[in-house]
Amino acid sequence: MPSNYPGFKYSTDRETFSSAKAKALESLLIEKGIITGDTVNKILSYFETEMGPFNGAKIVAKAWVDPDFKNLLLEDCNAACEQMDFPEGMSGAEGEHMRIVENTPEVHNVIVCTLCSCYPWPTLGLPPYWFKDPTFRARVVREPRQVLSEFGVQLEESVQIKVWDSSAQIRWWVLPMRPAGTEGMSEAQLANLLTPEAMMGVATVKV
Amino acid sequence: MKLQHNLGGLEGLDPITPETKVFVEPWETRIFGIHTAMMALSNHLNTSLPKYDIGSVPTQFKSFWTWGHLRQGAEGLHPFEYFRLRYYEKWLGGISGFFIDEGYITQEELDARTAEFLQDSTKAAAPLPKGSNSAIDTQVEQYLRKGDSPKRPLPSPAKFKVGDQVRIKNVSPAAHSRLPGNLKGRIAEVVKVYEGAFTYFFPTEDGIGTPMPVYSLAFQATHLWEASTTEANLVYYNDIFEAYIEAV
Repeated sequence: MPSNYPGFKYSTDRETFSSAKAKALESLLIEKGIITGDTVNKILSYFETEMGPFNGAKIVAKAWVDPDFKNLLLEDCNAACEQMDFPEGMSGAEGEHMRIVENTPEVHNVIVCTLCSCYPWPTLGLPPYWFKDPTFRARVVREPRQVLSEFGVQLEESVQIKVWDSSAQIRWWVLPMRPAGTEGMSEAQLANLLTPEAMMGVATVKV
Repeated sequence: MKLQHNLGGLEGLDPITPETKVFVEPWETRIFGIHTAMMALSNHLNTSLPKYDIGSVPTQFKSFWTWGHLRQGAEGLHPFEYFRLRYYEKWLGGISGFFIDEGYITQEELDARTAEFLQDSTKAAAPLPKGSNSAIDTQVEQYLRKGDSPKRPLPSPAKFKVGDQVRIKNVSPAAHSRLPGNLKGRIAEVVKVYEGAFTYFFPTEDGIGTPMPVYSLAFQATHLWEASTTEANLVYYNDIFEAYIEAV
């Protein structure tokens, strides 16, 4: 039976207060010379335009068509990412040490951070809210098959599930399986099929 | 045992809410940006990899701020508060408290400014002050692009090797820990010894902070939970600092 747990939607008063407090804090920090009036906007813009799941999507698409690149990606994720024609930053903040794990017909991988929300920023950007929610963090380590079914992914009993938690300094993500029926697609078309959820292991890639 | 250190495997929770937005309220973007700026301006970056000339950055921020500081704020909460507050609400409380504790702002200033925005919707909707020195933003961008690698030379050889069976120590987590509490006392297999050593920057009372080996450990789900309460064909992996591991 569902509980009274509020999920993500809270009362208007509570949000109005948080909004006023966040703005009060930011305006004081600007006045006191800690940050500038542009600092926060520039950070947000960096994740909107330069470091986001659109990078991960291109990397996965390349790995699907280039076996040498895929081998390097699995062996040394950062070295492979540095080969991409992306803006500087693929080994930047929260991407200093990344690893990717490959889904196959026999093994399905899913990532989690039970203690907080560790996430590979350069390849996937910032984590979606469900990943930060204690409900996902608590449940996926113990009953991932059930959790995946709630995301709409049904796995055969024979498929082994590997859950990758990140309590130290490695940032994990998932190389999903290339779907059937994509043989004639270009890398750009393949990249368009990818979602953050597919690169976290809670979705499969669909044509 | 603190509940927020023992999330892994809690039972009786709700179905997943697959909210894919990164921020569910606009104000959350602001506190995320403030935290990231603090990371980029932290005073420890003069000894980081790469080394930043942080002393010459014209910010008034002179403190040490890492993920450890942010996480300690959340992990230090009363457990029921931890679950009452949404993710970025914890950040807003912890970061505001830090600026007050470090003397950059006062509680009265923050409360007065907040009240002003709550009472006057014109002020609340007005643009933020401009601020000045763009060299602050240059450092923030440099940090985003170049990062702050925790990898260091190995101070002494790693104690364990691939294939070893190890046990997770029963350490007391105190205010902040990088050990999920539900792993304590459990047996795992070393599947990878990461090259080099890793600092955590922030010294925790339970023993991490200085550079030490980190291991990728594999736990059989049935070594963590009763078989009837978990699933078949499941392996749980985690990267664990050496301070948390002992020989079986």
